[in-house]
Amino acid sequence: MTIAHLSRRTLLQAGSALLASTALPVLARAQNTPSGGRLIVAADSEPKNLNPAIVASNGVFFIASKVVEPLAEASFDGKDGLSPRLATSWEGSADGKSVTFKLREGVKWHDGKPFTSADVAFSALSIWKPLQNLGRVVFANLEAVDTPDAATAIFKFSKPTPLQLIRNALPVVSSVVPKHVYEGTDIAGNPANVKLVGTGPFKLTEYKPGEYYRLTKNADYWNKGEPKLDEVIFRVLPDRAGAGAALEAEEIQLAAFSAVPLTDLARISKVPGIKVISKGYEALTYQLVVEINHRRKELADLKVRQAIAHAIDRKFVVDTIFLGYASASTGPVPKNAPEFYDAGVPTYAFDVAKANALLDEAGYKKGANGTRFSLKLRPAPYFNETKQFGDYLRQALAAVGIDAQLVNADSAAHQKAVYTDHDFDLAVGPPVFRGDPAISTTILVQSGIPAGVPFSNQGGYASKELDDIIARAAVTVDTAARTDLYKQFQKLVATDLPLINVAEWGFITVARDSVLNVSNNPRWAVSNWADTALKS
Amino acid sequence: MKVIQHLIRTPESAIGLGILVLLALVALLAPVLSPGDPLRIAARPLLAPFTDPSFPLGTDRLGRDVLAGIIHGARTSLAVGIAAAFAAIAFGFCIGLTAGFAGGLVDEALMRVVDAFQIVPSFLLALAFVSVIGASAPVVVIAISLGAWADPARLTRAQVLSIRERDYVASARVIGMHPVEIALKEILPNALPPVLALSAIIVAAAILTEAALSFLGLGDPNVVTWGSMIAEGRNILRSSPSLSIFPGIALIVTVVGVYLFSEGLTKTLAGRRAEE
Repeated sequence: MTIAHLSRRTLLQAGSALLASTALPVLARAQNTPSGGRLIVAADSEPKNLNPAIVASNGVFFIASKVVEPLAEASFDGKDGLSPRLATSWEGSADGKSVTFKLREGVKWHDGKPFTSADVAFSALSIWKPLQNLGRVVFANLEAVDTPDAATAIFKFSKPTPLQLIRNALPVVSSVVPKHVYEGTDIAGNPANVKLVGTGPFKLTEYKPGEYYRLTKNADYWNKGEPKLDEVIFRVLPDRAGAGAALEAEEIQLAAFSAVPLTDLARISKVPGIKVISKGYEALTYQLVVEINHRRKELADLKVRQAIAHAIDRKFVVDTIFLGYASASTGPVPKNAPEFYDAGVPTYAFDVAKANALLDEAGYKKGANGTRFSLKLRPAPYFNETKQFGDYLRQALAAVGIDAQLVNADSAAHQKAVYTDHDFDLAVGPPVFRGDPAISTTILVQSGIPAGVPFSNQGGYASKELDDIIARAAVTVDTAARTDLYKQFQKLVATDLPLINVAEWGFITVARDSVLNVSNNPRWAVSNWADTALKS
Repeated sequence: MKVIQHLIRTPESAIGLGILVLLALVALLAPVLSPGDPLRIAARPLLAPFTDPSFPLGTDRLGRDVLAGIIHGARTSLAVGIAAAFAAIAFGFCIGLTAGFAGGLVDEALMRVVDAFQIVPSFLLALAFVSVIGASAPVVVIAISLGAWADPARLTRAQVLSIRERDYVASARVIGMHPVEIALKEILPNALPPVLALSAIIVAAAILTEAALSFLGLGDPNVVTWGSMIAEGRNILRSSPSLSIFPGIALIVTVVGVYLFSEGLTKTLAGRRAEE
């Protein structure tokens, strides 16, 4: 184009193009206001089945809890440690055989249909009880759910079921899914297990495998004024080292579940604009446990188990392996569960001389090479910390003359070896305490569990006394009496050592300072994030 | 003797030989240089390198001596590398000799098997093998040699095919030597040297494969290896890069040493053949 051809129109076109190019970033920035904006979060797994009513696990909840809601969520200051969601109140009968839920009115599913008690009844009887990993335990004796009106659901049990248990389990087991989507279909294979339909503050609008999940604001959410955010993007970043760098580069604004490795926290906490938060995981306490195969003659001897407990330096584990982001355990119930926790149990101080003496007493003298006997040790591969503790335990046992041979395997092979084939002597596992010992803790020591059930007693341990307490607590309706039984349970486990509890830990959230209302409930990472906001 | 003289004459092979001898000494003397279990927790965790004379290279996340790890890691790397290369060459050589000498259907069948192994990437093969059977030193050796035997097999076969048409083999046949005798006495000694020249490359590849397997957590967890040291250091690469750098340097030096040596060996063998 020559100068002669330059017309007014071309100049105007060029000018407006120039204007538009500068205006675009301004528009993008304008979205980052407290009411609105897009929160980008690191996700490290893509569950095949995203339906929290079927798979009640943290990996699923992390994404799905924003879309599908439970009857109640955990809370720091609410009554019974709960804050109402789809249920507004709950009440148990004196005989423990029924629980009445009043449901929230005016709630709509994401497809526009109204939410009613029929959805709760359907979810409970067709999904939670028969299909859900944890609901199978909690709702084992659920017989029927009566729905006298659209806002009332009455759960009927064949045997007394403590309200305390139901209450503690509500946030985890009670995700409600729509009856009209699931009824009459193959529930496990329903496409809605991936394209979720819920009542939550966000709708799942897009999923690109290997890239991201896009959740957009539900404008019809029952709690007016929420959610604050317009969008939540879960970016799949499987490499843990990548999350910290992405936060610094502001590619993501939040990384939960210790996606930033513990070893990187000291450095990243000094980066301006980034905060490190250890709150918000109180109801999801992980426990570092040494699982013991009692079929091994040596390990069936209580003295040997006591010696192993004395050989472990819990301070080293907490300070060096967890870098202080954990605390030492005393027994099978963590300190984060004050309702049940009992500090008055036998403890095992780090004492190598005592451990050696106990092993000598048990009749396992050191051989010529300084070794008493050999064991096969399988550390669970799920966390860096479980693997490192495996390395440490091998050294700690070597110090008392026990030669532990490490066997590493991937998750599937590890679970098969430990929980199905019993091909281990010691294993390091990270079971989760979920608010009530009856949900996923008593199963770790109870006898008679068939082979193949993961995270259960597969070490062949059997104690009639302990089984009795567990059975009695399961049908004790009175809260005080039930709590007392679980205190006895803790004492017995700490005395007889069917397994050795070493430490307990929660996760760490790292977020940009611009993210507001982070970690404001004990299950924050797996709650609905309706009040989470972004400051510009 | 003549071979060694030849080797020392070229600078690259002299350096290579020097590195290998030094490594072999470190590996053999590991229990003397650094007594005790190299994986034991010896000091405060994350001691920086060059600060404490008793731990010159510092300590790792759990307080294990990095220098002890590197010394004992040399043992694992060399042992696994040499064992895997030996197994791969011995097996490949036998297959190649049989195929080349027997010819016909046997040759066709064996070469298709070799093809199959050459098509699958050798690291993938090792990875699959170890994750199915479980990690332990002998399994790792077998896994690595599984992916490495096909090359020596092909080379041997080619050698045998050319040698068996030579005049001296024909005359051996004429004087009525048994075919097995011909194979062992006439063909084998002449087919072997080029295959041996390949050995150094296979050792280097085997050391790298072993390190990669350990890096992915598929090595034997009860012995220290450079690959597993790098993998553990990777988690804290930003704050303590030395934990990955030192074993990385050890790995590079070893592989470079092996390559230089193999370079020199090939030249020497070629030179000798030219002299003949």
